[in-house]
Amino acid sequence: MTPIVRRVVRWYCPNCPLEDVSVEPAQQNSARFHQCKGLRGLLAPMLPVGVRAKVVAVERGDYVGKEHVTLDADGRPVMSVVTVRDDGQDCIAFAPLAVVDAEV
Amino acid sequence: MAWSTSKVFVAFIHDALEGTEAWALATDAPKVALYDDDITPDATVAIANTAYNAGQWTASGNEVIDTGGWPAGGRTLLNPTSTIASNVYTYNADDTVSADSHSTITGAFGCLVYDDTLTGNYGLSFHYFGGSQTVSEGTFTVAWNASGLFTFTV
Repeated sequence: MTPIVRRVVRWYCPNCPLEDVSVEPAQQNSARFHQCKGLRGLLAPMLPVGVRAKVVAVERGDYVGKEHVTLDADGRPVMSVVTVRDDGQDCIAFAPLAVVDAEV
Repeated sequence: MAWSTSKVFVAFIHDALEGTEAWALATDAPKVALYDDDITPDATVAIANTAYNAGQWTASGNEVIDTGGWPAGGRTLLNPTSTIASNVYTYNADDTVSADSHSTITGAFGCLVYDDTLTGNYGLSFHYFGGSQTVSEGTFTVAWNASGLFTFTV
């Protein structure tokens, strides 16, 4: 029988007061996301306590046109949320909806 | 020209309606492949050129990969759903995440969603991120729109 080793992970968000705790397998590469009030309602990662990082929303770099893009609570088109750590960078890229419209 | 929009391939709709290919979107295993800004996606190409590693989607020199985290051919689209609500058909799935937390992906401008279950690897849709996306020693996530990957409204 193989024992399952679990670990407790404490999470925080650098942009809002939200905190959380999870218990998960020690080997698991885990992530935690939330709709962040500090990032105007966007999907954003939580960070393990002890990890210092900056989490920022990046406005869409191109013309929106008829694209169905992700908007923040202020109506700005956002293309990604980027986490900048001392040792690297994560990215959540928001893929627009593709639409087929047969309405007349 | 380069990336400018997100679209469903017209040839996919045609083939699905004609029964030319055995599309089964809720049970097939589509994949999500990342591409740089060298290509000009076109929703009106023939079905053969919607496929991964064909036509505009040629992998060499265009596909953006991390060998361990987002390999050539892309990551599998998990838990796809194919639903109807009133006059709207919606195709949706879980957000697509790199296989590890130490990927390096540079200059991904958009992605091709194609049906890896079909022999031809034909495309369903493509999605423009709106600019260059990069991770280094990190996790890359494609977060699908709150309304899904694509919708048909009649």
